[in-house]
Amino acid sequence: MLLTIALIAAQTTVLLAVSPFLVGLIRKVKARLQLRRGASLIQPYADLIKLFRKQPVISTTTSWIFTATPYIVFASILTAGLLVPTFISQTPMNFAGNIIVLVYLLALGTFFLMLAGLDAGSAFGGMGSSREAIVASLTEPAMILAIFAIALTNGSTNVSTIVHKTALMEDIVTDPSPHLMALAALFIVALAETGRVPVDNPATHLELTMIHEAMVLEYSGRYLALLEWAAGLKLAVFLSLIANVFAPWGIATTITPAAIGIGLLAYVVKTAALAAFIGVIECMFAKLRLFRVTDLLGVAFILALLGLLFFYTLRS
Amino acid sequence: MQGLSSIGSQLIDLCSALLLLTCFAIVAQRRLSACVDLFALQSAVLFVTAALVAYLTKSHHIYIAAGLTGVIKVIVIPRVLKKVIDHLNVKRELVMHVNVPTGLLICGGLVMLAFFIAQPIIPLGPLLTRDSLAIALAIVLIGLFTMIARQQAVSQLVGFLVLENGLFLGATAATYGMPLVVELGVFFDVLIATLIAGIYTNRLQDAFNSVDTDQLTILKE
Repeated sequence: MLLTIALIAAQTTVLLAVSPFLVGLIRKVKARLQLRRGASLIQPYADLIKLFRKQPVISTTTSWIFTATPYIVFASILTAGLLVPTFISQTPMNFAGNIIVLVYLLALGTFFLMLAGLDAGSAFGGMGSSREAIVASLTEPAMILAIFAIALTNGSTNVSTIVHKTALMEDIVTDPSPHLMALAALFIVALAETGRVPVDNPATHLELTMIHEAMVLEYSGRYLALLEWAAGLKLAVFLSLIANVFAPWGIATTITPAAIGIGLLAYVVKTAALAAFIGVIECMFAKLRLFRVTDLLGVAFILALLGLLFFYTLRS
Repeated sequence: MQGLSSIGSQLIDLCSALLLLTCFAIVAQRRLSACVDLFALQSAVLFVTAALVAYLTKSHHIYIAAGLTGVIKVIVIPRVLKKVIDHLNVKRELVMHVNVPTGLLICGGLVMLAFFIAQPIIPLGPLLTRDSLAIALAIVLIGLFTMIARQQAVSQLVGFLVLENGLFLGATAATYGMPLVVELGVFFDVLIATLIAGIYTNRLQDAFNSVDTDQLTILKE
């Protein structure tokens, strides 16, 4: 019991600590590729501390949704993060929900963020919410199908079981095609859900392009800090999911100090590599026009669907 | 030894799946030069696949075919196509007969069709891999679809080259390569076809000020 609580606390700490680092790393990689020196890797932490100290300003036209949203978003994404294995394959919270709960916990956060964007009544917020609704409704089917493809190859919808089985290489169907299709689909979904470049640009406040930034435009002080942190957490959750489901190398399968140490190191290295890759992508591609986003997410959907169908055709 | 060959066949499966992935990227891509880059990437994956097959089956002539793929399809043909594109005034968005999401759905259907066609054939022969034959067939079909669905000459050419990549994958994965003379002939054919189509595209551009092949249907004696 005590061990379980300790592990839950450890995973929470790891997620909270790693997420600003990943955001900082993406910015750093981008800056270096653009021949800039870029802000230091601890800058996101400093930003969060600064924002937590500032006094928030709240519009008088807003309702309770506006002040409740940062807490709901932060809590739902953190809970989702506890369902995904990070440094240890059997997460202590794995009894609490499977991969479908994970998807809809993330969707809950998105839903409240869209409401909050509309709540302040500014034109930008409504625009951002409307765009987020388009993106969210297109990513969800692709994500669910990709996840089902993985769940079928492992015979379980529990993320911990999937990662544990893959890490130990026990009774899994070793066909690379469904996995590769699901990986590609999930990666596109991750880019779209975390507001990265082909879909959204996190570095701009230009009204023509912003999606996530438009929804959080009215926030300040500790509310903004929570939302920024939640955005970082969402990135960390997606990267952990991708890293550990498709490449569970080095993850701790037993609870011994040595295994956990290696697991932690492997986790940070894997997520950092993925974050650096996202940074490279952000430099290589331009943001898509809003109505071209459907093409990209269409690719994700078709790939996920093919991954699912490959499973059946290869089985028979 | 058994372990090595099973890892090898999984790697070939992985490469074939990557080839299929690049096919979808080409279908979804609207920019011409990006299509050519993706074709070069696909050919590079094909080069790796062919080299793997050569290593696993220890047949040396496939190494030569793989090397030719590396030189001709990864370097020479993309360069030729880039030169043709430079000469044209259509660099931006491609015109298609069907929009991208529909095209992707059709391609998904084609992949399933290929799998169902190849399914009864696969157990008949001693194949290295289970699904590369089906994927090869799928790539051929997607290449054909690209040729039909796109209006401009250069992207139709890319479709033709994708089709040829699928044929090559099928030949190496299913029959461990054709005789070297045939292989050389095919490579020469593809290279010449690309050159001729490139020149022809330039002529189209000069004559119509556009490379939309639909305009050819209005030609009368």
